[in-house]
Amino acid sequence: MTDAAPREWVPVEHRFLGLDRRTFAPALSVLVIALLLLYGLPALNAAIPWHNEIRAGDVLDLGDGATAVPPVGWQLEGGTLAGTGSVSPSSVQVQLASGGATITLRGTSFTGTADAFLDQVQRSEGSPPGVDGSRGTVTTASGLVGVAQGSTSPNGDALDVAFKMAGASGEAEAAPALLVRVRTAPGQFERLQDTVATFLRGIAPGASR
Amino acid sequence: MTTTSEVKTAQLAAIEQSGWGQPFRLVQPRNLAFWVYLLGVGGGALAVLRYFGPGAHFYSPALTGGVLLFGLYLVPWLLLLRHQNRYTAQPAALLATAFVWGGLAAPFWIALPANNALLEIWTKVGGTAFAANWSAGLTAPINEEFGKALGLVLLIGLAPRLVRGAYDGFIIGAFIGLGFQVFEDVLYVYNGAAQTFGADQITSSFQMFLIRGAAGIVSHALFSAIFCAGLMWVLGRTPGERNVPRGVLTMLTAMVFHFAWDDMGGLSGGNALLAVVLPFVIAIVELVTLFYVARHASRQERIWVRQLLQPESDAGVIDPALLAAVSGLGKDRKAFRKLVHSRSRARHLLDAAADLARELARAQGSETSEVAHARAELLRLRGGR
Repeated sequence: MTDAAPREWVPVEHRFLGLDRRTFAPALSVLVIALLLLYGLPALNAAIPWHNEIRAGDVLDLGDGATAVPPVGWQLEGGTLAGTGSVSPSSVQVQLASGGATITLRGTSFTGTADAFLDQVQRSEGSPPGVDGSRGTVTTASGLVGVAQGSTSPNGDALDVAFKMAGASGEAEAAPALLVRVRTAPGQFERLQDTVATFLRGIAPGASR
Repeated sequence: MTTTSEVKTAQLAAIEQSGWGQPFRLVQPRNLAFWVYLLGVGGGALAVLRYFGPGAHFYSPALTGGVLLFGLYLVPWLLLLRHQNRYTAQPAALLATAFVWGGLAAPFWIALPANNALLEIWTKVGGTAFAANWSAGLTAPINEEFGKALGLVLLIGLAPRLVRGAYDGFIIGAFIGLGFQVFEDVLYVYNGAAQTFGADQITSSFQMFLIRGAAGIVSHALFSAIFCAGLMWVLGRTPGERNVPRGVLTMLTAMVFHFAWDDMGGLSGGNALLAVVLPFVIAIVELVTLFYVARHASRQERIWVRQLLQPESDAGVIDPALLAAVSGLGKDRKAFRKLVHSRSRARHLLDAAADLARELARAQGSETSEVAHARAELLRLRGGR
Protein backbone atom coordinates (compact mmCIF):
# COMPACT_ATOMS: atom_id res chain seq x y z
CA MET A 1 0.00 0.00 0.00
CA THR A 2 1.27 3.50 -0.91
CA ASP A 3 0.69 6.75 0.96
CA ALA A 4 -1.84 9.19 -0.50
CA ALA A 5 -0.24 11.70 -2.90
CA PRO A 6 0.31 15.18 -1.46
CA ARG A 7 -1.90 17.98 -2.74
CA GLU A 8 -0.77 19.49 -6.04
CA TRP A 9 1.28 16.39 -6.80
CA VAL A 10 1.25 15.78 -10.53
CA PRO A 11 2.40 12.33 -11.71
CA VAL A 12 5.43 12.67 -13.99
CA GLU A 13 3.63 11.25 -17.04
CA HIS A 14 1.06 14.08 -16.81
CA ARG A 15 3.53 16.96 -16.49
CA PHE A 16 4.30 19.50 -19.21
CA LEU A 17 6.40 22.55 -18.36
CA GLY A 18 5.47 22.08 -14.73
CA LEU A 19 1.75 22.10 -15.52
CA ASP A 20 -0.71 19.25 -15.23
CA ARG A 21 -1.58 18.20 -18.79
CA ARG A 22 -4.94 16.86 -17.60
CA THR A 23 -6.05 20.46 -17.05
CA PHE A 24 -5.27 21.50 -20.61
CA ALA A 25 -8.56 20.45 -22.24
CA PRO A 26 -10.91 22.78 -20.31
CA ALA A 27 -8.37 25.61 -20.09
CA LEU A 28 -7.46 25.59 -23.79
CA SER A 29 -11.12 25.24 -24.86
CA VAL A 30 -11.93 28.38 -22.88
CA LEU A 31 -8.91 30.23 -24.24
CA VAL A 32 -9.73 29.38 -27.87
CA ILE A 33 -13.41 30.38 -27.59
CA ALA A 34 -12.56 33.57 -25.67
CA LEU A 35 -9.94 34.59 -28.24
CA LEU A 36 -12.37 33.87 -31.08
CA LEU A 37 -14.94 36.17 -29.51
CA LEU A 38 -12.34 38.77 -28.50
CA TYR A 39 -10.30 38.99 -31.68
CA GLY A 40 -12.18 36.90 -34.27
CA LEU A 41 -15.31 39.04 -34.30
CA PRO A 42 -13.45 42.38 -34.49
CA ALA A 43 -11.31 40.93 -37.31
CA LEU A 44 -14.43 39.79 -39.17
CA ASN A 45 -15.98 43.21 -38.61
CA ALA A 46 -12.90 44.92 -39.99
CA ALA A 47 -13.07 42.72 -43.09
CA ILE A 48 -16.68 43.68 -43.90
CA PRO A 49 -17.01 47.05 -45.65
CA TRP A 50 -19.84 49.51 -45.10
CA HIS A 51 -22.60 49.53 -47.71
CA ASN A 52 -25.06 51.96 -46.11
CA GLU A 53 -24.44 54.87 -48.43
CA ILE A 54 -26.73 57.88 -48.10
CA ARG A 55 -28.72 58.37 -51.28
CA ALA A 56 -30.35 61.52 -52.59
CA GLY A 57 -33.63 62.10 -50.80
CA ASP A 58 -32.69 60.24 -47.59
CA VAL A 59 -33.73 62.03 -44.42
CA LEU A 60 -32.57 61.26 -40.88
CA ASP A 61 -35.22 60.73 -38.21
CA LEU A 62 -34.26 62.63 -35.04
CA GLY A 63 -37.45 61.75 -33.17
CA ASP A 64 -40.85 63.42 -32.70
CA GLY A 65 -40.81 64.75 -36.27
CA ALA A 66 -37.36 66.34 -36.06
CA THR A 67 -35.22 65.62 -39.11
CA ALA A 68 -31.85 66.26 -40.75
CA VAL A 69 -30.70 65.81 -44.32
CA PRO A 70 -27.48 63.77 -44.42
CA PRO A 71 -24.84 64.45 -47.09
CA VAL A 72 -25.22 62.18 -50.11
CA GLY A 73 -22.49 59.57 -50.46
CA TRP A 74 -21.60 59.41 -46.77
CA GLN A 75 -21.95 56.08 -44.96
CA LEU A 76 -24.71 55.81 -42.39
CA GLU A 77 -23.05 53.77 -39.62
CA GLY A 78 -25.71 54.37 -37.00
CA GLY A 79 -29.10 56.02 -36.80
CA THR A 80 -32.51 55.73 -38.38
CA LEU A 81 -33.75 57.09 -41.67
CA ALA A 82 -37.22 58.65 -41.68
CA GLY A 83 -39.91 56.06 -42.36
CA THR A 84 -37.85 53.05 -41.25
CA GLY A 85 -38.47 53.02 -37.50
CA SER A 86 -39.24 55.07 -34.45
CA VAL A 87 -36.73 57.14 -32.50
CA SER A 88 -36.86 58.97 -29.19
CA PRO A 89 -35.40 62.50 -29.42
CA SER A 90 -33.67 62.06 -26.06
CA SER A 91 -31.77 58.97 -27.17
CA VAL A 92 -30.96 59.73 -30.81
CA GLN A 93 -27.60 58.38 -31.93
CA VAL A 94 -26.50 58.97 -35.49
CA GLN A 95 -23.11 58.36 -37.03
CA LEU A 96 -22.12 59.40 -40.54
CA ALA A 97 -18.67 58.78 -41.98
CA SER A 98 -16.80 59.65 -45.12
CA GLY A 99 -13.09 59.35 -45.82
CA GLY A 100 -11.98 59.58 -42.19
CA ALA A 101 -14.36 62.40 -41.32
CA THR A 102 -17.34 61.76 -39.07
CA ILE A 103 -20.52 63.57 -38.13
CA THR A 104 -22.25 62.28 -35.03
CA LEU A 105 -25.54 63.39 -33.55
CA ARG A 106 -26.55 62.67 -29.97
CA GLY A 107 -29.89 63.55 -28.49
CA THR A 108 -30.46 63.81 -24.76
CA SER A 109 -32.72 65.42 -22.22
CA PHE A 110 -31.35 68.65 -20.79
CA THR A 111 -33.01 71.54 -19.00
CA GLY A 112 -31.42 74.84 -20.01
CA THR A 113 -30.21 76.72 -23.02
CA ALA A 114 -28.12 75.40 -25.91
CA ASP A 115 -25.18 77.39 -24.56
CA ALA A 116 -25.55 75.79 -21.10
CA PHE A 117 -25.82 72.39 -22.76
CA LEU A 118 -22.53 72.91 -24.58
CA ASP A 119 -20.97 73.95 -21.25
CA GLN A 120 -22.24 70.71 -19.69
CA VAL A 121 -20.80 68.63 -22.56
CA GLN A 122 -17.40 70.27 -22.19
CA ARG A 123 -17.41 69.88 -18.40
CA SER A 124 -18.15 66.17 -18.77
CA GLU A 125 -15.23 65.64 -21.12
CA GLY A 126 -12.62 67.81 -19.44
CA SER A 127 -10.27 69.95 -21.50
CA PRO A 128 -8.62 68.01 -24.33
CA PRO A 129 -5.33 69.44 -25.64
CA GLY A 130 -5.86 71.85 -28.48
CA VAL A 131 -6.93 75.38 -29.34
CA ASP A 132 -10.59 76.23 -28.93
CA GLY A 133 -12.24 78.86 -31.05
CA SER A 134 -14.81 81.28 -29.75
CA ARG A 135 -18.48 80.35 -29.70
CA GLY A 136 -20.71 81.38 -32.53
CA THR A 137 -24.36 81.14 -33.49
CA VAL A 138 -25.71 78.73 -36.09
CA THR A 139 -29.17 79.27 -37.53
CA THR A 140 -30.79 76.50 -39.55
CA ALA A 141 -33.15 76.95 -42.50
CA SER A 142 -36.10 76.20 -40.20
CA GLY A 143 -35.06 78.94 -37.79
CA LEU A 144 -33.53 76.66 -35.15
CA VAL A 145 -30.72 78.45 -33.34
CA GLY A 146 -27.66 76.57 -32.11
CA VAL A 147 -24.35 77.35 -30.44
CA ALA A 148 -21.18 76.23 -32.21
CA GLN A 149 -17.60 75.95 -31.11
CA GLY A 150 -14.68 74.74 -33.18
CA SER A 151 -11.29 73.54 -32.03
CA THR A 152 -8.11 72.21 -33.52
CA SER A 153 -5.53 69.87 -32.09
CA PRO A 154 -2.75 67.56 -33.31
CA ASN A 155 -5.40 64.82 -33.52
CA GLY A 156 -7.59 66.74 -35.93
CA ASP A 157 -10.19 69.44 -36.32
CA ALA A 158 -13.46 69.44 -34.44
CA LEU A 159 -16.74 71.32 -34.42
CA ASP A 160 -19.42 70.90 -31.74
CA VAL A 161 -22.85 72.43 -32.25
CA ALA A 162 -25.51 72.34 -29.54
CA PHE A 163 -29.23 72.77 -30.24
CA LYS A 164 -32.36 72.78 -28.14
CA MET A 165 -34.90 71.10 -30.42
CA ALA A 166 -37.87 73.36 -29.69
CA GLY A 167 -40.24 74.42 -32.45
CA ALA A 168 -41.76 77.86 -32.67
CA SER A 169 -44.44 77.07 -30.08
CA GLY A 170 -42.27 74.93 -27.79
CA GLU A 171 -40.48 75.64 -24.50
CA ALA A 172 -36.78 75.89 -25.40
CA GLU A 173 -35.55 75.24 -21.84
CA ALA A 174 -37.34 71.90 -21.47
CA ALA A 175 -36.91 70.70 -25.07
CA PRO A 176 -34.56 67.80 -25.84
CA ALA A 177 -30.99 68.78 -26.62
CA LEU A 178 -29.07 67.72 -29.70
CA LEU A 179 -25.29 67.70 -30.00
CA VAL A 180 -23.78 67.60 -33.47
CA ARG A 181 -20.07 66.75 -33.60
CA VAL A 182 -17.89 66.94 -36.66
CA ARG A 183 -14.43 65.38 -36.56
CA THR A 184 -11.87 65.45 -39.35
CA ALA A 185 -8.18 64.74 -39.81
CA PRO A 186 -5.87 67.73 -39.17
CA GLY A 187 -6.37 70.44 -41.79
CA GLN A 188 -9.27 68.65 -43.48
CA PHE A 189 -12.15 70.65 -42.05
CA GLU A 190 -12.00 73.39 -44.65
CA ARG A 191 -12.53 70.87 -47.43
CA LEU A 192 -15.78 69.75 -45.76
CA GLN A 193 -16.96 73.15 -44.61
CA ASP A 194 -19.71 73.51 -47.22
CA THR A 195 -20.97 69.97 -46.63
CA VAL A 196 -21.11 70.54 -42.88
CA ALA A 197 -22.78 73.95 -43.27
CA THR A 198 -25.44 72.46 -45.56
CA PHE A 199 -26.02 69.62 -43.13
CA LEU A 200 -26.42 71.98 -40.18
CA ARG A 201 -28.81 74.21 -42.14
CA GLY A 202 -30.99 71.16 -42.85
CA ILE A 203 -31.65 70.27 -39.20
CA ALA A 204 -35.31 70.88 -38.42
CA PRO A 205 -37.23 70.47 -35.14
CA GLY A 206 -40.51 68.56 -35.05
CA ALA A 207 -43.53 70.50 -36.20
CA SER A 208 -45.42 69.60 -33.03
CA ARG A 209 -42.98 71.31 -30.69
CA MET B 1 -33.89 -6.92 -0.26
CA THR B 2 -31.09 -4.41 0.16
CA THR B 3 -28.35 -5.41 2.58
CA THR B 4 -26.50 -3.05 4.91
CA SER B 5 -23.29 -3.40 2.92
CA GLU B 6 -25.11 -2.53 -0.35
CA VAL B 7 -26.53 0.60 1.27
CA LYS B 8 -23.09 1.57 2.55
CA THR B 9 -21.59 0.92 -0.89
CA ALA B 10 -24.24 3.12 -2.48
CA GLN B 11 -23.47 5.83 0.09
CA LEU B 12 -19.75 5.74 -0.70
CA ALA B 13 -20.50 5.75 -4.44
CA ALA B 14 -22.72 8.81 -4.01
CA ILE B 15 -19.95 10.62 -2.12
CA GLU B 16 -17.41 9.67 -4.77
CA GLN B 17 -19.61 10.63 -7.74
CA SER B 18 -20.89 13.89 -6.29
CA GLY B 19 -17.49 15.02 -5.04
CA TRP B 20 -19.30 16.56 -2.11
CA GLY B 21 -17.02 17.45 0.76
CA GLN B 22 -14.01 18.04 -1.48
CA PRO B 23 -12.24 21.31 -0.69
CA PHE B 24 -11.98 24.03 -3.34
CA ARG B 25 -8.82 26.02 -3.90
CA LEU B 26 -8.58 28.66 -6.58
CA VAL B 27 -4.80 29.06 -6.48
CA GLN B 28 -3.45 26.01 -8.32
CA PRO B 29 -0.23 27.03 -10.09
CA ARG B 30 0.05 23.66 -11.88
CA ASN B 31 -3.45 23.94 -13.30
CA LEU B 32 -3.68 25.76 -16.66
CA ALA B 33 -7.32 26.62 -15.92
CA PHE B 34 -6.09 28.76 -13.02
CA TRP B 35 -3.87 30.83 -15.35
CA VAL B 36 -6.62 31.25 -17.95
CA TYR B 37 -8.96 32.33 -15.14
CA LEU B 38 -6.39 34.90 -14.00
CA LEU B 39 -5.96 36.11 -17.59
CA GLY B 40 -9.72 36.58 -18.00
CA VAL B 41 -10.32 38.29 -14.67
CA GLY B 42 -7.15 40.38 -15.01
CA GLY B 43 -8.16 41.40 -18.54
CA GLY B 44 -11.62 42.28 -17.27
CA ALA B 45 -10.23 44.36 -14.39
CA LEU B 46 -7.98 46.28 -16.79
CA ALA B 47 -10.91 46.89 -19.12
CA VAL B 48 -12.93 48.23 -16.17
CA LEU B 49 -10.15 50.69 -15.35
CA ARG B 50 -9.91 51.79 -18.99
CA TYR B 51 -13.68 52.17 -19.30
CA PHE B 52 -14.48 53.96 -16.05
CA GLY B 53 -11.10 55.56 -15.34
CA PRO B 54 -11.22 58.69 -17.54
CA GLY B 55 -14.69 59.76 -16.41
CA ALA B 56 -14.61 58.33 -12.88
CA HIS B 57 -14.15 61.72 -11.21
CA PHE B 58 -16.83 63.60 -13.14
CA TYR B 59 -19.31 60.72 -13.00
CA SER B 60 -18.55 59.79 -9.38
CA PRO B 61 -22.09 60.65 -8.11
CA ALA B 62 -23.61 58.24 -10.64
CA LEU B 63 -20.95 55.57 -10.09
CA THR B 64 -21.22 55.80 -6.30
CA GLY B 65 -25.01 55.66 -6.51
CA GLY B 66 -24.86 52.69 -8.88
CA VAL B 67 -22.39 50.74 -6.75
CA LEU B 68 -24.36 51.40 -3.54
CA LEU B 69 -27.79 50.66 -5.01
CA PHE B 70 -26.75 47.51 -6.84
CA GLY B 71 -24.62 46.44 -3.87
CA LEU B 72 -27.80 46.48 -1.78
CA TYR B 73 -29.68 44.79 -4.62
CA LEU B 74 -27.16 41.97 -4.44
CA VAL B 75 -28.07 41.04 -0.86
CA PRO B 76 -31.52 39.46 -1.46
CA TRP B 77 -30.12 37.75 -4.56
CA LEU B 78 -27.32 36.15 -2.55
CA LEU B 79 -29.80 35.03 0.11
CA LEU B 80 -32.04 33.52 -2.56
CA LEU B 81 -29.21 31.70 -4.31
CA ARG B 82 -27.76 30.51 -1.01
CA HIS B 83 -31.14 28.96 -0.31
CA GLN B 84 -31.11 27.25 -3.72
CA ASN B 85 -27.57 25.93 -3.17
CA ARG B 86 -28.98 22.79 -1.57
CA TYR B 87 -28.47 19.03 -1.97
CA THR B 88 -24.71 18.51 -2.51
CA ALA B 89 -24.07 22.22 -1.95
CA GLN B 90 -21.13 23.97 -3.61
CA PRO B 91 -18.54 25.67 -1.37
CA ALA B 92 -18.77 29.44 -1.01
CA ALA B 93 -15.25 29.98 -2.40
CA LEU B 94 -16.17 28.23 -5.64
CA LEU B 95 -19.35 30.28 -6.00
CA ALA B 96 -17.39 33.48 -5.29
CA THR B 97 -14.92 32.47 -8.02
CA ALA B 98 -17.86 32.02 -10.40
CA PHE B 99 -19.31 35.41 -9.42
CA VAL B 100 -16.02 37.20 -10.10
CA TRP B 101 -15.71 35.59 -13.56
CA GLY B 102 -19.27 36.70 -14.27
CA GLY B 103 -18.57 40.23 -13.03
CA LEU B 104 -15.21 40.96 -14.61
CA ALA B 105 -14.09 38.50 -17.27
CA ALA B 106 -17.38 37.76 -19.04
CA PRO B 107 -18.66 41.34 -19.49
CA PHE B 108 -15.47 43.38 -19.71
CA TRP B 109 -12.87 41.02 -21.14
CA ILE B 110 -15.13 39.20 -23.61
CA ALA B 111 -18.56 40.77 -24.13
CA LEU B 112 -17.61 44.43 -24.44
CA PRO B 113 -15.26 44.10 -27.46
CA ALA B 114 -17.14 41.15 -28.96
CA ASN B 115 -20.51 42.89 -28.71
CA ASN B 116 -19.21 46.10 -30.28
CA ALA B 117 -17.87 44.13 -33.24
CA LEU B 118 -20.94 41.96 -33.77
CA LEU B 119 -23.37 44.88 -33.39
CA GLU B 120 -21.48 46.69 -36.14
CA ILE B 121 -21.45 43.56 -38.31
CA TRP B 122 -25.27 43.34 -38.09
CA THR B 123 -25.52 47.03 -39.01
CA LYS B 124 -23.29 46.50 -42.03
CA VAL B 125 -25.12 43.36 -43.13
CA GLY B 126 -28.72 44.38 -42.46
CA GLY B 127 -28.68 48.17 -42.38
CA THR B 128 -29.38 50.55 -39.52
CA ALA B 129 -33.15 49.93 -39.32
CA PHE B 130 -32.62 46.17 -39.04
CA ALA B 131 -29.87 46.72 -36.49
CA ALA B 132 -32.05 49.01 -34.37
CA ASN B 133 -34.67 46.27 -34.03
CA TRP B 134 -32.66 43.07 -33.95
CA SER B 135 -28.91 43.52 -33.50
CA ALA B 136 -28.90 43.48 -29.69
CA GLY B 137 -30.81 40.20 -29.56
CA LEU B 138 -28.62 38.64 -32.22
CA THR B 139 -25.45 39.67 -30.40
CA ALA B 140 -25.73 39.39 -26.62
CA PRO B 141 -27.16 35.85 -26.43
CA ILE B 142 -24.14 34.57 -28.36
CA ASN B 143 -21.28 36.55 -26.84
CA GLU B 144 -22.61 36.88 -23.33
CA GLU B 145 -24.04 33.40 -22.78
CA PHE B 146 -20.85 31.75 -24.07
CA GLY B 147 -18.65 34.28 -22.26
CA LYS B 148 -20.36 33.47 -18.97
CA ALA B 149 -20.41 29.70 -19.56
CA LEU B 150 -16.64 29.73 -20.11
CA GLY B 151 -16.40 30.42 -16.38
CA LEU B 152 -18.19 27.13 -15.71
CA VAL B 153 -15.77 25.26 -17.99
CA LEU B 154 -12.83 26.78 -16.10
CA LEU B 155 -14.37 25.73 -12.80
CA ILE B 156 -14.64 22.19 -14.15
CA GLY B 157 -10.90 22.44 -14.79
CA LEU B 158 -10.27 23.86 -11.33
CA ALA B 159 -12.59 21.54 -9.41
CA PRO B 160 -13.33 18.51 -11.60
CA ARG B 161 -14.66 16.46 -8.70
CA LEU B 162 -16.91 19.20 -7.36
CA VAL B 163 -18.56 20.30 -10.61
CA ARG B 164 -20.31 17.13 -11.70
CA GLY B 165 -24.04 17.33 -12.26
CA ALA B 166 -26.51 19.56 -14.10
CA TYR B 167 -27.60 21.13 -10.81
CA ASP B 168 -23.99 22.19 -10.21
CA GLY B 169 -24.16 23.93 -13.58
CA PHE B 170 -27.48 25.48 -12.62
CA ILE B 171 -26.19 26.98 -9.34
CA ILE B 172 -22.76 28.00 -10.64
CA GLY B 173 -24.40 29.49 -13.74
CA ALA B 174 -26.74 31.51 -11.53
CA PHE B 175 -23.77 32.96 -9.63
CA ILE B 176 -21.85 33.75 -12.83
CA GLY B 177 -24.99 35.38 -14.23
CA LEU B 178 -25.55 37.37 -11.04
CA GLY B 179 -21.98 38.71 -11.20
CA PHE B 180 -22.50 39.66 -14.84
CA GLN B 181 -25.83 41.30 -14.10
CA VAL B 182 -24.67 43.47 -11.21
CA PHE B 183 -21.48 44.66 -12.91
CA GLU B 184 -23.39 45.33 -16.13
CA ASP B 185 -25.99 47.28 -14.14
CA VAL B 186 -23.26 49.58 -12.82
CA LEU B 187 -22.02 49.97 -16.40
CA TYR B 188 -25.55 50.96 -17.47
CA VAL B 189 -25.74 53.53 -14.67
CA TYR B 190 -22.48 55.03 -15.90
CA ASN B 191 -23.64 54.99 -19.53
CA GLY B 192 -26.96 56.53 -18.51
CA ALA B 193 -25.15 59.40 -16.82
CA ALA B 194 -22.82 59.79 -19.81
CA GLN B 195 -25.85 59.90 -22.14
CA THR B 196 -26.95 63.11 -20.41
CA PHE B 197 -23.34 64.35 -20.16
CA GLY B 198 -23.50 64.11 -16.38
CA ALA B 199 -26.55 66.32 -15.85
CA ASP B 200 -28.59 65.24 -12.80
CA GLN B 201 -26.58 62.08 -12.18
CA ILE B 202 -28.33 60.96 -8.99
CA THR B 203 -31.75 60.96 -10.67
CA SER B 204 -30.45 59.13 -13.73
CA SER B 205 -28.72 56.47 -11.59
CA PHE B 206 -31.86 55.94 -9.52
CA GLN B 207 -33.99 55.63 -12.67
CA MET B 208 -31.53 53.10 -14.07
CA PHE B 209 -31.63 51.18 -10.78
CA LEU B 210 -35.41 50.89 -10.93
CA ILE B 211 -35.45 49.78 -14.58
CA ARG B 212 -32.52 47.37 -14.43
CA GLY B 213 -33.41 46.11 -10.96
CA ALA B 214 -36.91 45.09 -12.06
CA ALA B 215 -35.72 43.57 -15.34
CA GLY B 216 -32.91 41.79 -13.48
CA ILE B 217 -35.37 39.41 -11.81
CA VAL B 218 -35.59 37.46 -15.06
CA SER B 219 -32.25 38.36 -16.60
CA HIS B 220 -28.65 37.12 -16.54
CA ALA B 221 -28.81 34.96 -13.39
CA LEU B 222 -31.77 33.11 -14.89
CA PHE B 223 -30.31 32.87 -18.43
CA SER B 224 -27.00 31.49 -17.16
CA ALA B 225 -28.56 29.05 -14.70
CA ILE B 226 -30.52 27.52 -17.58
CA PHE B 227 -27.65 27.73 -20.10
CA CYS B 228 -25.08 26.18 -17.75
CA ALA B 229 -27.43 23.37 -16.69
CA GLY B 230 -27.81 22.61 -20.42
CA LEU B 231 -24.04 22.70 -20.88
CA MET B 232 -23.62 20.15 -18.08
CA TRP B 233 -26.13 17.85 -19.79
CA VAL B 234 -24.09 18.15 -22.98
CA LEU B 235 -20.82 17.44 -21.15
CA GLY B 236 -22.38 14.61 -19.09
CA ARG B 237 -19.90 14.47 -16.23
CA THR B 238 -22.04 12.13 -14.14
CA PRO B 239 -22.73 8.52 -15.19
CA GLY B 240 -26.06 8.39 -17.02
CA GLU B 241 -26.64 12.14 -17.03
CA ARG B 242 -25.34 12.92 -20.53
CA ASN B 243 -28.18 14.02 -22.80
CA VAL B 244 -26.91 16.10 -25.71
CA PRO B 245 -30.30 16.92 -27.33
CA ARG B 246 -31.73 18.03 -23.99
CA GLY B 247 -28.59 20.00 -23.20
CA VAL B 248 -28.50 21.79 -26.55
CA LEU B 249 -32.22 22.54 -26.38
CA THR B 250 -31.81 23.96 -22.87
CA MET B 251 -28.89 26.15 -23.94
CA LEU B 252 -30.86 27.38 -26.97
CA THR B 253 -33.84 28.12 -24.72
CA ALA B 254 -31.69 30.39 -22.55
CA MET B 255 -30.39 32.14 -25.68
CA VAL B 256 -33.94 32.61 -27.03
CA PHE B 257 -35.01 34.15 -23.71
CA HIS B 258 -32.03 36.49 -23.86
CA PHE B 259 -32.90 37.36 -27.47
CA ALA B 260 -36.54 38.03 -26.60
CA TRP B 261 -35.57 40.28 -23.71
CA ASP B 262 -33.08 42.29 -25.75
CA ASP B 263 -35.28 42.64 -28.84
CA MET B 264 -38.56 43.37 -27.13
CA GLY B 265 -38.98 46.47 -29.31
CA GLY B 266 -38.56 44.50 -32.52
CA LEU B 267 -40.85 41.70 -31.33
CA SER B 268 -43.64 44.09 -30.36
CA GLY B 269 -43.40 45.63 -33.83
CA GLY B 270 -44.37 49.11 -32.66
CA ASN B 271 -47.62 47.85 -31.07
CA ALA B 272 -47.90 49.80 -27.80
CA LEU B 273 -50.12 47.23 -26.07
CA LEU B 274 -47.83 44.37 -27.04
CA ALA B 275 -44.82 46.36 -25.83
CA VAL B 276 -46.43 46.57 -22.37
CA VAL B 277 -47.71 42.98 -22.19
CA LEU B 278 -44.78 41.15 -23.78
CA PRO B 279 -42.24 41.61 -20.93
CA PHE B 280 -44.67 40.05 -18.45
CA VAL B 281 -45.49 37.13 -20.77
CA ILE B 282 -41.81 36.44 -21.41
CA ALA B 283 -41.03 36.73 -17.69
CA ILE B 284 -43.70 34.14 -16.82
CA VAL B 285 -42.47 31.72 -19.50
CA GLU B 286 -38.89 32.20 -18.27
CA LEU B 287 -39.80 31.48 -14.63
CA VAL B 288 -41.82 28.37 -15.51
CA THR B 289 -38.89 27.11 -17.60
CA LEU B 290 -36.45 27.92 -14.80
CA PHE B 291 -38.36 25.76 -12.30
CA TYR B 292 -38.72 22.97 -14.86
CA VAL B 293 -34.96 22.96 -15.55
CA ALA B 294 -34.11 23.16 -11.83
CA ARG B 295 -36.37 20.20 -11.11
CA HIS B 296 -34.80 18.03 -13.82
CA ALA B 297 -31.25 19.20 -13.12
CA SER B 298 -31.55 18.32 -9.43
CA ARG B 299 -32.69 14.72 -10.08
CA GLN B 300 -29.21 13.20 -9.74
CA GLU B 301 -28.38 15.34 -6.71
CA ARG B 302 -31.52 14.20 -4.95
CA ILE B 303 -30.59 10.57 -5.61
CA TRP B 304 -27.12 11.21 -4.16
CA VAL B 305 -28.51 12.80 -0.99
CA ARG B 306 -30.91 9.91 -0.55
CA GLN B 307 -28.11 7.36 -0.98
CA LEU B 308 -25.89 9.34 1.35
CA LEU B 309 -28.46 9.40 4.14
CA GLN B 310 -30.00 5.96 3.58
CA PRO B 311 -27.73 4.24 6.16
CA GLU B 312 -28.82 6.87 8.70
CA SER B 313 -32.44 6.22 7.79
CA ASP B 314 -31.94 2.46 8.19
CA ALA B 315 -30.35 3.14 11.59
CA GLY B 316 -33.39 5.19 12.62
CA VAL B 317 -31.54 8.52 12.84
CA ILE B 318 -33.68 10.00 10.05
CA ASP B 319 -37.30 9.03 9.55
CA PRO B 320 -38.57 8.34 6.01
CA ALA B 321 -40.56 11.59 5.82
CA LEU B 322 -37.50 13.68 6.67
CA LEU B 323 -35.37 11.71 4.22
CA ALA B 324 -37.97 12.32 1.50
CA ALA B 325 -38.02 16.04 2.31
CA VAL B 326 -34.26 16.61 2.49
CA SER B 327 -33.71 14.72 -0.77
CA GLY B 328 -36.89 15.92 -2.43
CA LEU B 329 -38.48 18.82 -4.24
CA GLY B 330 -40.36 21.83 -2.92
CA LYS B 331 -43.59 19.82 -2.70
CA ASP B 332 -41.86 17.21 -0.51
CA ARG B 333 -40.58 19.89 1.84
CA LYS B 334 -44.05 21.43 1.93
CA ALA B 335 -45.58 18.05 2.79
CA PHE B 336 -43.01 17.66 5.56
CA ARG B 337 -43.88 21.08 6.98
CA LYS B 338 -47.52 20.02 7.09
CA LEU B 339 -46.58 16.74 8.75
CA VAL B 340 -44.65 18.34 11.62
CA HIS B 341 -47.19 21.20 11.93
CA SER B 342 -44.44 23.78 12.38
CA ARG B 343 -42.56 25.72 9.74
CA SER B 344 -39.59 26.51 11.98
CA ARG B 345 -39.31 22.96 13.35
CA ALA B 346 -39.46 21.55 9.82
CA ARG B 347 -36.73 23.98 8.73
CA HIS B 348 -34.53 23.06 11.69
CA LEU B 349 -34.91 19.34 11.01
CA LEU B 350 -34.17 19.82 7.30
CA ASP B 351 -31.09 21.90 8.08
CA ALA B 352 -29.87 19.36 10.63
CA ALA B 353 -30.35 16.49 8.16
CA ALA B 354 -28.47 18.48 5.50
CA ASP B 355 -25.68 19.13 8.05
CA LEU B 356 -25.40 15.40 8.72
CA ALA B 357 -25.27 14.66 4.98
CA ARG B 358 -22.54 17.27 4.53
CA GLU B 359 -20.45 15.95 7.42
CA LEU B 360 -20.80 12.39 6.12
CA ALA B 361 -19.60 13.57 2.71
CA ARG B 362 -16.67 15.47 4.23
CA ALA B 363 -15.73 12.40 6.26
CA GLN B 364 -15.99 10.26 3.12
CA GLY B 365 -18.59 8.08 4.83
CA SER B 366 -16.49 7.28 7.88
CA GLU B 367 -17.22 8.06 11.50
CA THR B 368 -15.69 11.30 12.75
CA SER B 369 -16.46 13.49 15.72
CA GLU B 370 -18.16 15.96 13.33
CA VAL B 371 -20.43 13.23 11.97
CA ALA B 372 -21.24 12.08 15.50
CA HIS B 373 -22.04 15.66 16.52
CA ALA B 374 -24.25 16.30 13.49
CA ARG B 375 -26.09 13.04 14.17
CA ALA B 376 -26.51 13.92 17.86
CA GLU B 377 -27.88 17.33 16.90
CA LEU B 378 -30.43 15.77 14.58
CA LEU B 379 -31.48 13.28 17.27
CA ARG B 380 -31.74 16.12 19.79
CA LEU B 381 -34.04 18.06 17.46
CA ARG B 382 -36.13 14.99 16.71
CA GLY B 383 -36.47 14.28 20.40
CA GLY B 384 -37.70 17.78 21.01
CA ARG B 385 -41.00 17.25 19.18
